[in-house]
Amino acid sequence: MSGELLDPSWLQLALAAGLVIVAIGVSATRQLGLERELTIAMVRTFIQLLAIGYILSFVFTNAIPGVIIAILFLMLGVAAWTVASRQRRPTNTLRLLVLAALTTSCGLTLVLATQLILRIHPWYNPYYLIPLMGMVIGNSLNSATLAVERLDSDLRAGRDRVEALLALGATSREAAALPVRSAMRAAMLPIINSMMVVGLVSLPGMMTGQILGGSSPSVAIKYQILIMYMIAFSTALTAFILTTWRARSYFTAAHQLRQGLLAG
Amino acid sequence: MSPVIRLEQVSAAKQDRPVLGAVTLAFDSGAAYSILGPSGAGKTTLLRLLNRLEEPSSGALWYRDTPYREISPITLRRRVAMVFQVPVVFPGTVRDNLMTPLRLQKRASADHGVLVGRLDLAGLDGGFLDRDASELSVGEKQRVCIARALMNDPEVLLLDEPSAALDPATTRRLIESIVDLNRRLGLTVIMVTHQPEQARVFGAQVILLSGGAVAEQASAAEFFVAPATAEGRRYLNLSEASS
Repeated sequence: MSGELLDPSWLQLALAAGLVIVAIGVSATRQLGLERELTIAMVRTFIQLLAIGYILSFVFTNAIPGVIIAILFLMLGVAAWTVASRQRRPTNTLRLLVLAALTTSCGLTLVLATQLILRIHPWYNPYYLIPLMGMVIGNSLNSATLAVERLDSDLRAGRDRVEALLALGATSREAAALPVRSAMRAAMLPIINSMMVVGLVSLPGMMTGQILGGSSPSVAIKYQILIMYMIAFSTALTAFILTTWRARSYFTAAHQLRQGLLAG
Repeated sequence: MSPVIRLEQVSAAKQDRPVLGAVTLAFDSGAAYSILGPSGAGKTTLLRLLNRLEEPSSGALWYRDTPYREISPITLRRRVAMVFQVPVVFPGTVRDNLMTPLRLQKRASADHGVLVGRLDLAGLDGGFLDRDASELSVGEKQRVCIARALMNDPEVLLLDEPSAALDPATTRRLIESIVDLNRRLGLTVIMVTHQPEQARVFGAQVILLSGGAVAEQASAAEFFVAPATAEGRRYLNLSEASS
């Protein structure tokens, strides 16, 4: 029963859309007011994935290194923008900071995994680079969001304590050590949790996809193990870089808390 | 007596709003000062400048004969210690709190006698050492903060309304401890308060700030008997009327 991959026809997808229409019906009868959103979401899913399907088939059949690298950077850019916009006061400095952190951590993870561990051929093989980068960025994005959120709220709430430490002769690094530590922990706990239950409670998306795509489960799990380890590395690195740089931006060179950043 | 801290034409702003305007002051070594003034007069900002938690927008400060900008802020803050209005104790015991400044100086241990000595100067007995700092009363916490600041052996102690959260009896005892620090250790003490009564008990030099400028500077004895300026008289009248 393996190997034969069904290619769903457009008619079959239209039937699947019937499932969403049932959900819209539920919303209407229970007066959830979500009918409009569900319809838009259904159409957006269709259009976005259709578009990315065309783009990816083009990229996969004409594997041009420059185009593939550009796509990886586009993914990083969108991720950085998303992280920054989720904060209370997104600034361009924050966007750049997140972009730099994600590029460093996800880029390094991808290079190590594909060039040193898997040794893919050719080095820019999009069948590996794009899905692996997608998984790494998706998780690092969540970790970055958690790290920045936690650091900002802890520094605001713990401002008196930070200044009490500064007044005793602490450097800004020493004064921010506790908020930085708790932000890093908050950013890394989700991946640790999912590593604990992977395969028991959850079947990861990429593994499901590979199995549906015809890979044998024994190969799929090997990729999943690789991915989990890559994610653990990249989330730790993202959290480390982001919290260190972000904490530094809260202080002046004279170890003073910047007043403006903390207001509001 | 030579000044331990000097300010020349110091101005400061908070989010572009001027808070202090061209303040020139000198604090003599070993003397005690109370800084009085209505809220918004710039008292707290002045203290924060002295501890270099903030930078002046213009003008300059000197510690001894060195401009603030030429001293490492870390070194300066150990010489010119600051205790805040709302006491901040760190998690752990009183001992942990007193050890924090030493850990920051990369000194791992302290003589038991030193810890008890600092607590005693701040008006607490040695029995407090192993108490959980978070479970102390506000007044006791404030004394822990003072003892902790003394662990750096500062030359100057800045106090920002240390008794703002205390009842009158506790306040009186705290002020007496602070007077004692000045007399016994020769520590230069600069205390911000908005209660003239405290400045009177403190019996030190009085600096009246008003609208970000020094309105009057006199000994407590002179200031409370016959303030020399219209602002001084108005301030004392208003305070009496409100108390």
